[in-house]
Amino acid sequence: MDVILAAAGDAFTWHALLAIVVGTWAGIIIGGLPGLGSVVGLTIFLPFTFGMDVITSMALLIGVYCGSVYGGSITAILINTPGTPQSAATTFDGYPMTQQGRVDEALGWATFASFFGGVLSCVLLIFCAPQLAKFAVNFGSVEVFALVCLAMLCIVGVSQGSTLKGLVCGMMGFFFSMVGSDPITGADRFTFGNYSLSAGLTLIPVVVGAFALSEVFVRFATRDDEAAKIPEARLRLPGLREIVRRGIELIRGSFIGSFVGALPGTGAAAAAFISYASAQKLSPRRANLGKGEPDGIIASESSNNAVTGSSFIPTLALGIPGDVVTAMMMGAMVIHGITPGVRLMADQAQTVYSLFVVLIIVNVAMLILSKPSIGLFRYLFKLPQGYVMGGIVMFSFIGAVSVRGNPLDLIVMALTGVLAYVLRRGGYPLAPLVIGMVLGPELESSLRRGLLISRGDFFAFFTHSGIASFLFVLIGLFVVWTLWSSFIQWRQHVNARADAVPSSGNRQ
Amino acid sequence: MLASLIHPRVLTALMLLLAGAGLSISAWQGPADAMLVPRIVLTIWCAVAALVLIGECAKRLPREGGGLSPLPLLMAAVLVAAIAMASLGFLIPILPLVALTLWLFRIQRPLPLVLGTLIIGGGLWFLFHHVLLIRLPALLTSGLI
Repeated sequence: MDVILAAAGDAFTWHALLAIVVGTWAGIIIGGLPGLGSVVGLTIFLPFTFGMDVITSMALLIGVYCGSVYGGSITAILINTPGTPQSAATTFDGYPMTQQGRVDEALGWATFASFFGGVLSCVLLIFCAPQLAKFAVNFGSVEVFALVCLAMLCIVGVSQGSTLKGLVCGMMGFFFSMVGSDPITGADRFTFGNYSLSAGLTLIPVVVGAFALSEVFVRFATRDDEAAKIPEARLRLPGLREIVRRGIELIRGSFIGSFVGALPGTGAAAAAFISYASAQKLSPRRANLGKGEPDGIIASESSNNAVTGSSFIPTLALGIPGDVVTAMMMGAMVIHGITPGVRLMADQAQTVYSLFVVLIIVNVAMLILSKPSIGLFRYLFKLPQGYVMGGIVMFSFIGAVSVRGNPLDLIVMALTGVLAYVLRRGGYPLAPLVIGMVLGPELESSLRRGLLISRGDFFAFFTHSGIASFLFVLIGLFVVWTLWSSFIQWRQHVNARADAVPSSGNRQ
Repeated sequence: MLASLIHPRVLTALMLLLAGAGLSISAWQGPADAMLVPRIVLTIWCAVAALVLIGECAKRLPREGGGLSPLPLLMAAVLVAAIAMASLGFLIPILPLVALTLWLFRIQRPLPLVLGTLIIGGGLWFLFHHVLLIRLPALLTSGLI
């Protein structure tokens, strides 16, 4: 109890509260600008945190993260363009409500559902993360190796696009993490005689290049200068009676989001679509879904914001980030002296509980700040895109170089930006690259320690302990499931082509 | 046939395969202990990249519209600025880069271009370097610029 009170004291300082307000407000704005999203928001604000203490810096970044997930819903409702992929499902009912003149009501439901989902997932995080961390203390090198393999497979398996392309990107991420000195023998690897490379590559320049800089290149390649027309809108929060009437939808969406968010590799976009699909089956007003029904907005927004809290469960307790955003948050935590993993709850309990309190305050701040933010979008959409892109280039450079002051990081960032652009055009998912880079060192050290324990016998890993055996069985099942679903997709593709050939022949 | 083989997607897959193969050679020539995991990772990389390449070649990929784009110019400018910062400091390479970015994104009237460059490039540099004291690469040892 003393720890929790001390943690609350850390979170309720004036500078932490100011960071929450600034971060959340900026996150809402950045999330609402189509294409920018959470990673670009974090890229912009990361350099500001270097002079701050741990709690203030994390308050700023968590504010940006949660705010950006909510912000995407505003433009999804106003102009049928989701600011972030997480809010894509919100357009299904949000924009029809705008067309029907119910824009205030739609924004109100999106705001309240986001707040409800966010707070519920924080409560789950507070209860689940310590329990998971206690259980994870039983994990040795072999179990950690199996867990990292499983997490990586999940991320590759559910990443958008081809599984094989995701796997190549995952291996590329693993490789990036292996550049520099070998952690056990100290021998240089892949430095090619360049002394600067001995220190290895760090996560932030790679993420900034892969997501922020490549976004500038993609925007340039697909320029669209037409300004969107934003309708006049205000926020009308739902009344208590309406909330009670749709309470089941709110709770269901929040639980789906919390569950999906805790799984590696899924993320808020998947949670929103799963939740929307469940509303299509279970909502008493399902016949109206897609025609401007608040239940659709509730399903999407409560679940995507519930992910923000629950995605911290594996990140904090196991050191395994669920998606790119949490990987970047994890990188920021490491910079500020927090090392996520099984020892975190025991070693830095007060800091972790402070982060929990910060998450709850951020959700309250989001509710309060939503009203003044919505009016701003009318003016923001008139701003020429060039200024935003110029700012992103500038923040990319500042963010990359200020992590450790090594000019090599700038070259890494620039090259990663070009590489990421090429990969994006080729249909390669970038999330496995980043997650591979985060998990790479843990995978390598756990494998090599495990081999030392088992005297070089890799097959002994499978029978090392009950937990290890269980995890390897899960890996096997996941591989079989991925291969089977790929086979089914391939067969459908072949059948579709076979059906198409005679019909085109008939036309001739 | 040849036209489909020089499709950007095929070339990307080929580039990944060649990069993986080149790095594999380096890994197999290095010390066995330190290169154990990189060898496994790079072998999987090459095998999967080969499968991706076969898949891309087998697909009937639609032709992409050609035409000259100034995008490689922007990419080259970013790379040159990144390399130049080690010797010229942060401010001198970033100003032309920001100006080029604004110009390419059609902010081409002199006053908005100059003001935008000075505020985004110079203003943010001043904020981080001199106000927030987050030291960016500098030209002079005193750190003034």
